[in-house]
Amino acid sequence: MDALISQYIDPYYLRILMLIGINIILALGLNLITGVTGQLSMGHAGFMSIGAYTSAIFSMQMGSPFFLSLLAGAMVAAFFGFLIGIPTLRLEGDYLAMVTIGFAEIIRVFFLNFEPGGKAVGLSGIPQNTTFVLVWTLVIIVIILNAKLLNSRIGRAFYAIRENEIAAEASGINSTRLKVLAFTAGSFLAGLGGGLYAHYMYFIRPQDFAFMKSIELLNMVVLGGMGSIPGTVLGSVILTLLPEMLRVVAEYRLMFYGALLVILMIFRPNGLLGDVRVYDLKKKLQGKKVGLWQSSN
Amino acid sequence: MRFRGKAGWALLVCFLMVLSVMAGCGGKSKDTIKLGFLGATTGSVANYGIPGQKGMKMAIEEVNKNGGVLGKQLEGIYLDNKGDSSEIALITDKYINRDKVVALVGDPCTGLTKIAAKIAQGNKVVIFSAGATGTGVVEIGDYVFRNTLLDMFAVPSVVDWMINTKDWKNIAVITSLNNDYSVSLTPVFKDAIDKQGGKIVIEESINDEETDFTAQITNIKKAKPDVLVFTGYYREAALLMNEAKKQGLDISLIGGDGLYGQDLANLGGKAVEEKVIFYCGFSFSGDESNPVTEKFLADYKAKYNEEPDMFSAQYYDAVMILAKAMEDANSADPSVFKDELAKLKDYPGVSGNTTFRADREPIKSPICLITVKDGKLTLLDKIPLNIE
Amino acid sequence: MIWQQLLNGLTLGSTYALIALGYTMVYGIIQLINFAHGEIYMIGAFVGLFLVVNTGLNIGVALLGAMAFCMVLGMLVELIAYRPLRGRASRLSGIISAIGVSIFLSTLMVLIAQTNTRRYPDIINIQTFQVGDLQVSSLQIIILVVATLLMVGLQLLVQKTRVGKAMRACSQDLDAAYLMGINVNRIISFTFAIGSALAAAGGVMVGIYYNAVWPYMGTMAGLKAFAAAILGGIGSIPGAMIGGITLGVLEILGVAYLSSSYKDAIAFGILILVLIIRPQGIMGQKITKKV
Repeated sequence: MDALISQYIDPYYLRILMLIGINIILALGLNLITGVTGQLSMGHAGFMSIGAYTSAIFSMQMGSPFFLSLLAGAMVAAFFGFLIGIPTLRLEGDYLAMVTIGFAEIIRVFFLNFEPGGKAVGLSGIPQNTTFVLVWTLVIIVIILNAKLLNSRIGRAFYAIRENEIAAEASGINSTRLKVLAFTAGSFLAGLGGGLYAHYMYFIRPQDFAFMKSIELLNMVVLGGMGSIPGTVLGSVILTLLPEMLRVVAEYRLMFYGALLVILMIFRPNGLLGDVRVYDLKKKLQGKKVGLWQSSN
Repeated sequence: MRFRGKAGWALLVCFLMVLSVMAGCGGKSKDTIKLGFLGATTGSVANYGIPGQKGMKMAIEEVNKNGGVLGKQLEGIYLDNKGDSSEIALITDKYINRDKVVALVGDPCTGLTKIAAKIAQGNKVVIFSAGATGTGVVEIGDYVFRNTLLDMFAVPSVVDWMINTKDWKNIAVITSLNNDYSVSLTPVFKDAIDKQGGKIVIEESINDEETDFTAQITNIKKAKPDVLVFTGYYREAALLMNEAKKQGLDISLIGGDGLYGQDLANLGGKAVEEKVIFYCGFSFSGDESNPVTEKFLADYKAKYNEEPDMFSAQYYDAVMILAKAMEDANSADPSVFKDELAKLKDYPGVSGNTTFRADREPIKSPICLITVKDGKLTLLDKIPLNIE
Repeated sequence: MIWQQLLNGLTLGSTYALIALGYTMVYGIIQLINFAHGEIYMIGAFVGLFLVVNTGLNIGVALLGAMAFCMVLGMLVELIAYRPLRGRASRLSGIISAIGVSIFLSTLMVLIAQTNTRRYPDIINIQTFQVGDLQVSSLQIIILVVATLLMVGLQLLVQKTRVGKAMRACSQDLDAAYLMGINVNRIISFTFAIGSALAAAGGVMVGIYYNAVWPYMGTMAGLKAFAAAILGGIGSIPGAMIGGITLGVLEILGVAYLSSSYKDAIAFGILILVLIIRPQGIMGQKITKKV
């Protein structure tokens, strides 16, 4: 299957598609935490790096099979997500954002001093096991599971916490437990994405997971539309493609990129597909009247 | 509100369509030999990519003026990788599959070079790094080359000079923690210092892109070393010396060829004057014995109105060496001229005399010690290289 | 030695505090984390450099010039990138817009000034005073004095003047302030102007103190200043000062007594601890949430 695909798709496009797939997984994880539950996290790349390093070290030094390494990376990231989820019980809004930034920075400094990870020199020679089919199969699975989750009782509770935590609690939602759950699940996906990234790139280094990477992922979620799965997917696609497409303007590339972010936010203040849910799309397809664009306003 | 939303969408879609169309029609095929530039021209490591790009452009112009290679013109393709792992991988794929380059020149950074090298090796395209000094680069495969002064050969001689000629025995070692060049150079220095009886009195670390080094210098001052060894790049070296001067610490700083940049003198001012000494495979000034370097220096100044640095010299050389290998092999096919490239011996380049060993590691000899004098980087001494 | 390091920390911290003030003021009024603030600081430093080197102005005049330039720039950024979003979008959209502005401004600066780090000329004749073991340079004194003056001035402005009163009203309740006849847009614009001017002052002083400015200096400084504002309790002006100085001192002491390799981890680790113990920051007020 992979051989077939690489025969017909230009490697350059193939790589873009792979990066889009990995970014979708990462962004969907962040969407659970920030988009759906409303807990502002600016340290998603930190969890990603935990997944990347853990899985790489599992593969390289313990020779564990690829799937086991991926799972290990995701589990360790999820564990740290659980740990960082605990302070969220007390903190909110931008204080929480600061804690996540701080946490991601601590992780980065840890890896900069981490001998088995090669410090700033990075870790190279990671087996390149991530394939196109694997990434996109995982993307589809993650999207389906995400949609099922958000459409369940728990998913609705997540949205309720975002909209109004006190009202949610008054309606019998255990917000403490759910916030930690959102963090754990989101970090699991970050770890998974990190593992896929590491086994795709052959080489990782702490600088790959710096603050700007977290911000890039946050951009994908917000630009696409907070809490919307189609939105997050669209956001990931656009923001992965954009820097490549903007190569036509040569040295003005990043200037255009920055300006476009501002313009897009001005024209679509709630994101491109703000709060469009898979559920609504289904209804629309079935001919029921649920406005696609009105719902965002 | 509704209208605005739709207008926004329309705008976005139009914009994306225009862009993708424009992206599609690039790369008209001419009968040229193409080289791809790897390096950052924006972002925090652009300081090392931009001079490299200038050096490469100049080399290509010069080759073309002299009739090109195998009767064809050389063409450089320059895309910015921002110092980002994913971007360099994308660019490498693009160069190889769209532009059909025969060789890649760069990247200055070891880690990014490894990513590109892995892809180039798989596609049988030559990659010639003009800056990657870390380990595990040429080991990736027989299409991977580099053109730098390898620290493991140079450092023992420099440490010997430091301890025995200058009698600097108590040494403070400073590493730039988020700089891969620095992190891999520090153990080489420490090893050599240990072997030759020097004493490391204090170890400190800084980060690239920072400006506040007050606490580190205060710590170092307390430890009373004879000399500082700093393994990072010129920007931080200049700022460290500025701070040392402010705190009244009168001391010399030794470093590697990462310090080769006119900004060292521009930024450090009086604080680095005859205080910073670093080793390099070549020297632009004060070395009349090398006419190639002299000519390069004059041409570069005439073209760009600034001083070249290490990266401009190494990118320039990389293009020249590639052109020579293609001529010698009488072929622009990477799988043919790579063998000719591997045979390179005593090539009198701008960045020193270069020979490739059997394992394709470059050797440059002798080593120049360079210092700052009257705001210019000037040759201080030449020391022979002792290779076991 | 501890006094020397404390002084180092105090100087570093007061530059953080100047940037943090802008963050905190903007936040106090429109609850926006203005990620472009670090870039304003960077541009302030460059404008100061330009004025000193190219027009040969006195450093004091250059400082004022940079502040004036950034005032206008700050107001412009607010007008173009934030005002259209206000009231129509979630807070996060504002953050993304701010990130866009930040990327735009830093790239613009790279195009104008290239990526080289520039040297600030030695404008002030540096003298060093020896007080016992302690070495104090005249530069450090100037920075501390100017920073203190600006902070006190700001405090007076906010507490004693009519505009300040309006600012406080806006930060309590934007809608109510509007109903009371306050021109909310003008007050927000004014807040951006003051915050940006302080950032520019910070930029020029950092430039003089470390002799270096470069186009990417804003990102890290902005992050640190944001941390400082949060630590002090975001929205609180005295909090930003205390937060900035605390963060500066923590960083320096981390290098001095623990390890320079873990400097940032130590500073952020303590920050997280403080926030877990005091979720509203050092000076922040606990806000009771209502349904």
